[in-house]
Amino acid sequence: MARYIARRLFYSIFVIFGVSVIVFLTLQLVPGDPAIALVGENASPQVIAQIRTELGLDQPLPVQYWRWLERFLHGSLGKSIRTHRDVITEILDRLPYTMVLALSAVFLSTTLGILMGVFAAINRGRLGDYLTMGFAIVGLSVPGFWIALLMIMFFALYLRLLPVMGAASWQNLIMPAIALSLHSAAQKARVTRASMLEVLGQDYVRTARAKGLSERTTLFRHALKNALIPVTTMIGLQFGHLMGGAVIMEQIFAWPGIGRLALQSVQGRDFPVIQGTVLFAAVIFLLSNLVVDIVYASLDPRIRYS
Amino acid sequence: MFRRISLCLTIAAVVLIVACAAPAPTSAPPPPATSAPPAVSATQPSAAAPTQPSTVVPTKPPEPTKAPTVSKVGGTLNIVEISDPDTLDLQQTTQTTSGNITGRIYEKLVYQDLDKSYKGLLAESWTVSPDNTVITFKLRQGVVFSDGSPFNAEAVKFTYERLKRIGTKASIYPAFQNVAKMETPDAYTFVMTLKEPAAPFLHDLVANAAGILSPSAVKAANDDVHRRPVGTGPYKLKEWKVGQELILERNELHKEFRVYYENKGASYIQEIRIKIIPELATQLAALEAGELDRISLRPQDIAKYEKDPRFKTYDSYATGNVYLAFDCAKPPFDNPKVRQALSYPVNKDEIVQVVLEGKIGRRACCPIAESIQGYDPKLKEYELNYNPAKAKQMLDELGYKPGPDGNRQTPDGKPFAPALYTTTSETFGKVATLLQAQYRAVGINVQIKPMESAALNAFTPTRQHDLFMNSYNWNEPDMFTVFLSCERLQSGNRAQYCNQDLEKLIVAGRSEMDQTKRMKIYFDAQKFVMEQAVWQPLYNTITKFVVSAKVKDVKQDAEGDTLFHDAYIAK
Repeated sequence: MARYIARRLFYSIFVIFGVSVIVFLTLQLVPGDPAIALVGENASPQVIAQIRTELGLDQPLPVQYWRWLERFLHGSLGKSIRTHRDVITEILDRLPYTMVLALSAVFLSTTLGILMGVFAAINRGRLGDYLTMGFAIVGLSVPGFWIALLMIMFFALYLRLLPVMGAASWQNLIMPAIALSLHSAAQKARVTRASMLEVLGQDYVRTARAKGLSERTTLFRHALKNALIPVTTMIGLQFGHLMGGAVIMEQIFAWPGIGRLALQSVQGRDFPVIQGTVLFAAVIFLLSNLVVDIVYASLDPRIRYS
Repeated sequence: MFRRISLCLTIAAVVLIVACAAPAPTSAPPPPATSAPPAVSATQPSAAAPTQPSTVVPTKPPEPTKAPTVSKVGGTLNIVEISDPDTLDLQQTTQTTSGNITGRIYEKLVYQDLDKSYKGLLAESWTVSPDNTVITFKLRQGVVFSDGSPFNAEAVKFTYERLKRIGTKASIYPAFQNVAKMETPDAYTFVMTLKEPAAPFLHDLVANAAGILSPSAVKAANDDVHRRPVGTGPYKLKEWKVGQELILERNELHKEFRVYYENKGASYIQEIRIKIIPELATQLAALEAGELDRISLRPQDIAKYEKDPRFKTYDSYATGNVYLAFDCAKPPFDNPKVRQALSYPVNKDEIVQVVLEGKIGRRACCPIAESIQGYDPKLKEYELNYNPAKAKQMLDELGYKPGPDGNRQTPDGKPFAPALYTTTSETFGKVATLLQAQYRAVGINVQIKPMESAALNAFTPTRQHDLFMNSYNWNEPDMFTVFLSCERLQSGNRAQYCNQDLEKLIVAGRSEMDQTKRMKIYFDAQKFVMEQAVWQPLYNTITKFVVSAKVKDVKQDAEGDTLFHDAYIAK
């Protein structure tokens, strides 16, 4: 197992490198000049040219990339063109908020999704199944931002139970976490249901029941564990995706996460920050996938890595 | 089975407890600061008349009336920005959000009064040498920065030398390239010698980037004042929670010199919280929930809030117009007659009524907006007013006749479908659509091409556009240099217009120090641009601010922006 992890980490290095090159090249394709974004469109051409030189934007591309790589290997992601702070500082400032939101959304969606899926599988064909799956379809189809705005109107304005926006206290976390989790909960519910149904049809489940095990033990100790494998993948993907920043929800709830940072930096053509946030998201994604693969092994003893 | 149900119940219970226990956070103001109340005199209870033991009825002195010493100091004002400022180092940013905040922390040497004349702020007065190159500022005495360090000529010199060192990142650096030397003959006199006379120089000294820094504070911070600003303004930075809010607190040492304020000392409002809310719908919700005290309104919300007794609305006028420009470097738009013909189909009143609902804009006649010095209503006679008949006639004469499908064609028989480039703003989209209809009424098929702002700015120097629509923002008649001069073809001159006669006027306007002569130059420049139909100015944007009624005595500056130095929060 340790060798497997080491190998995976080794390959990750190449992936990160590749991502950095792709991001760097893509940024060059984007129209719009960071120099103009910095000094404003009303500045004179001489000023703009001077800024471009100061930022090193007039160097040939390989040179610019090499300089970035050098800094990266020394542990720095560069400085934001707009705020003059280290990119790492900008990301770390927002990391706790994104982390809390991502973890909450993952936890909520997993709990809700699994419960709904199991409930639907057990009551297959009956009212409970249709209700739950109907709810899941709604959760999948309805745009998240619409639900978010509705929640603000209802809980914050009408009932005055929760604050509208910001991240001042834990009450602020409730609505964004719920809004973020709905879509994923719906997906997990459907997958759990399908997976459970498949597992429940297996021989070993029949054996467990025949042995006289209670339905609860059969379900949760034997069936569910195997049904959860696809859901585990989804958890990993969802977490990785959310750590890159839930841009829309952060925008609506004014949640100070990495998504907003990424959006602002794109609008301001802040190249170092764009590259930093994309790379950060890539690293998190790789790591969470690795964790998911390891969790597989504990869930399913048949899976062994060499 | 049991476990499942109990798990569900637990989760439900947790959710309920959470929901019920969460007290609705109120924007309760912190307890009022117990600092010196403003000069509201409290009549002292006069000494009671000495009781006289004799039988003479003592004439009682009038009952002492003790005026209640209501301290206006205290309270929190919650305002909003759509994003964090990039930095609070005012010499290294051109961002408006940053300027809105540093404008409360730092002060400049001069300011603009309500009639747009320049008056002394940190400078008591100034004199200009006869050749217009030496400006001598007499600085105010007894002013200190929020950390107690003294304001003097050395601070001013330090500030502007730092600005020159920082160079191009400072928005007013070009103005300072014209400064030959700066001297401090004594502690409260600051002398600037310019290389050439420059009329817009005072305007540059009013800019956000011209605020005065405290040398000791900057040195103590190792020149890193991105997040540690120290100024003489009415507020200082208390805390900056990145992505969430900035908290400014009252600077008790502040002295106010603007003539339009009655409050000559520190501000009344104890704290200003600038919340960062990118989404307009969320801002509105926050206003309704009492978490914000001021926002700008979308047109659809204006009628509702104008009638709402919880709020008061204020109009603020942009220092610039929304304009339609032609790509004057690209045929056929290099022909002034074609440009004129294409200016007549524009119905500005319709745009203001339909898109702006008559509320968030007023019709504009001329290149220089009504809110900017240099505006002259007499120029309206050169305005190309809505006249579709004349447009059709001119287009026919120029050879742009309707083809078989009704749309006009170029003289050599190709379809005439000019492309209108603008930003992705919702309002501009609506204006563009209306313009498209107005042009269709005279047979021209205009294509609308929205582009993201930064991309659009990079696009216009390539001269591929035909029509261009955007707004400009420049509170000085020399907007001509930025938007209509030959030297800005690669940046602000979206019309790609370069004409030597106009250029002469622009250069003259920059160096003419006599006010009357200067205004005449800009009159001629505007007349020239209007006759040549380089731009078709459309409207001047009005921003409607709505402010919570508990904020009293809000004033407005020359453009209508809300001012809070005399304001206080009603308890």
